[in-house]
Amino acid sequence: MVGHAEGLTAPAGPFITNHTLSGFLLRRLGASLLLLLLVLTLTFLLLHLIPGDPIDSAESQHLTAAQRLQLRQVYGLDRPLPEQYLRWLAAVARWDWGVSLSQQRPVSTALREVLPATAILALAALAVEYALALLLGIASALRRGSVLDHAIRVVTLLLYSVPLFWLGLMAILLLSYVWPVLPASHMRSVDADLMTPAQRLLDLARHLVIPALVVGLGTAGGTARFLRGSLIEVMSQDYIRTARAKGLSPHRVVWVHGLRNAIVPLIQVFSISLPLLLSGALIAEVVFSWPGLGRLTYGAVLARDYPLILGATAVSATLMILGNLLADVLHALADPRVRDA
Amino acid sequence: MRSSRVLNFFFTGLAAGALLVAGCRHAPDPESAAAGAGPSAPRRGGTAVVGWGAEPNGVNELTVPSSQITHEVQFRMFLHLAEEQPDFERHPPSFAPSLAKSWEWSPDHKTLTFHLRDGLVWSDGAPVTADDVRWTWTAQRNRDIAWENADSKSWITDVEAVDPRTVRFHFSRVYAKQFLDANEGAILPRHAWGQIPFSQWRKSAEWFRQHLVVDGPFTVASWEHQQQVVLKRNDRYYEKGLPRLDRVVLRQLSDQAAGFSQLLSGELDFVAQISPADIPRVKASPRLALIPYWTNLYVTVDWNNDNPLFKDPEVRRALTLAIDRKTIVDTILGPYGRVADSPVISTVWAHDPSLRPWPYDPAEARRILAAKGWKDTNGDGVLDRDGRLFAFELITNAGNQWRTDATVMIQDQLKKVGIRVTPRQVEFNTLIAQTNAGKYEAAMFGYTMDTSLDLTNNFHSRSIGADGNLVRYRNPEVDRLIETSMAQPDILAARPYLNRIQQIVHRDQPLTFLWESQRLTAVNRRVHDVRPTVNYSLFNLKEWWVTPKG
Repeated sequence: MVGHAEGLTAPAGPFITNHTLSGFLLRRLGASLLLLLLVLTLTFLLLHLIPGDPIDSAESQHLTAAQRLQLRQVYGLDRPLPEQYLRWLAAVARWDWGVSLSQQRPVSTALREVLPATAILALAALAVEYALALLLGIASALRRGSVLDHAIRVVTLLLYSVPLFWLGLMAILLLSYVWPVLPASHMRSVDADLMTPAQRLLDLARHLVIPALVVGLGTAGGTARFLRGSLIEVMSQDYIRTARAKGLSPHRVVWVHGLRNAIVPLIQVFSISLPLLLSGALIAEVVFSWPGLGRLTYGAVLARDYPLILGATAVSATLMILGNLLADVLHALADPRVRDA
Repeated sequence: MRSSRVLNFFFTGLAAGALLVAGCRHAPDPESAAAGAGPSAPRRGGTAVVGWGAEPNGVNELTVPSSQITHEVQFRMFLHLAEEQPDFERHPPSFAPSLAKSWEWSPDHKTLTFHLRDGLVWSDGAPVTADDVRWTWTAQRNRDIAWENADSKSWITDVEAVDPRTVRFHFSRVYAKQFLDANEGAILPRHAWGQIPFSQWRKSAEWFRQHLVVDGPFTVASWEHQQQVVLKRNDRYYEKGLPRLDRVVLRQLSDQAAGFSQLLSGELDFVAQISPADIPRVKASPRLALIPYWTNLYVTVDWNNDNPLFKDPEVRRALTLAIDRKTIVDTILGPYGRVADSPVISTVWAHDPSLRPWPYDPAEARRILAAKGWKDTNGDGVLDRDGRLFAFELITNAGNQWRTDATVMIQDQLKKVGIRVTPRQVEFNTLIAQTNAGKYEAAMFGYTMDTSLDLTNNFHSRSIGADGNLVRYRNPEVDRLIETSMAQPDILAARPYLNRIQQIVHRDQPLTFLWESQRLTAVNRRVHDVRPTVNYSLFNLKEWWVTPKG
């Protein structure tokens, strides 16, 4: 019977053939590419629908009409919209994302520069999210109906509902001002360029704590609730009762038989929450002056920097789509009905 | 000096919240003297940390979009031929020698000869020559580069490198801004930046940074986007003993509040603009000093003169009379603002001293409006005439609390004379696009005034539709006076014309002047000799010095 219980941890494996899975993947990839194109086309159109263009930005108000015209010619903004769109599309097809108007360097360079910062923040936040979610989820599932369970329910609901930027400001207030132990913003200290590599690493870690905590806390609430539900369901299964009846230690029942099965649906939550985590990181980047994709996009929008906005949108959209694709694939692995549909 | 031109009448929509133009009327106040007068002799070495709301756009001023912090940094790295001084209160600004040690005019005032300083070198050791000056001029006029200030070179027909130390500017006509135009734009290193063709310049921000060669007091030590730019001393700078600081860190701030708290905690040494609400905390802090000074910014309500509601100068004057500007200023700015009355701000030598702001006189406003046929015929509290209500939308840029508050106060005040105002905030670029196209009724703006005193862009009818004269004001006499003032060989001779323009604009009220304001700079007292000016918060950065922390 133990074997049966553990068999669940490799769900539906024998039914999958390479043929059907690759067909499924190809279909999904094709649809994803179309979706990406659609997102970028819509973004392109929306950008041009808003009054004003990059040359109308706050920083070029002293320009005369003649100078504006000249700049529009230099950047090709004087061309008809369909032509601009096709030129842009043709360039993108050659993997040329253009030159940022506000930064005057290739969009790909600007994006490459910010992605590590966003990745560091997202990964650290993910670690916080899951550590906390596991702790709270398990505690409240095992003490179901207790005062602890109710307390955790209130806390997780609060974390889930509080806006991220508010949480950020409160964290800054507490950890940087009332009890000044951590830096409130930026990725490095003022004198980071004079530090040794080890000091720099420590410096980065110190700067990472508040933003990662805030993004992680913001997403941990929902995950903890999900884990609690999943664990409670698993723990009421027959095989758990059997395991208990066999005389296994409660510790082993929970950690080996209960949690391993309860975590399966959590893998799907993870792939879906990846984009959420990313968008959370975007807000945090603005609040904490973290030099990642979010701040880059924010600045690009303010400057109406078309190529940079489109490049940044492409990256975020790709990450979102990949997250969903991953969820679908995992789902398909778990459930052949999805794959064959 | 460049920024005096660049900032010409551009909308500093961010001015109240973000950290934009700097300004200076007086030497720092006695209360801030600690930041100016050091306890001991200037000391060499150390780092100062400056907080700013944006990051510099790049090192090459001919290609990157201009912004205040961009100029601040470029001005510290590249020398101009001469340096405009902030002494414009009683006379036109003077110029101090910089790259050029002296200059002279030809008798017909059409040729200006500069003599370059001896022994000047770029930071890589190459000499600075007349050829650099000439080559810079060719870049400034190049159409692929499309420099934002290329207009300043319109009347310069040639720049001649007479010998390595002598360069001659030839003008096609005589006019008031000749020297300003010749001096516009820093001189750039031909031997370094001439390696790539002009057509590549607008894609090469990073290349310029990697091939940075300077002749000013500072150069770039490191550049982290969205975080900070570190400047370090240029050891080959020509002034002995300067700059005093080893390094200056320009830290990018996410918002004004963050900047202020970092100033309080000692993380930052200098913030160019704090909120008036933070002043008590600066005064209470033993480590901070406040440096308030008048800026070159003035805020207005622009009436679209093409709109039937605002066509009549008398009606516009009635609107001004019905707006209690003094109360608005007292409420929003307290002692750090005053009611404005002219496009030539009151700290500039050419401001007409006979002008007085129109009083707040709602009774007179009602009388004028009634005489013009505006009456409340149906008793709904709003004036009407020929079936049309006196109602309009007042737009301003979103994110500027001062202006948002002011639009609401104006709505309330004009309601008392029977005018319905709908305040609306729009995103900055949208505001610009709408007003440039004349698609608005009334708008609240900030303008900055420069020392060239060229009012063409503000009030000349030929600027209508050319992204200037947004109020669409048409007055042939003002057109003529502007042209005459700018055709004087010496701006000093333009004073009577400038006075007349100010008087006519005051009479016609194509826009209602609201306020001039002070910039509130806060400095850690460990930094000494900080002297911001109208154009540059970091004007004398090379002279700043610090006492060690702790």
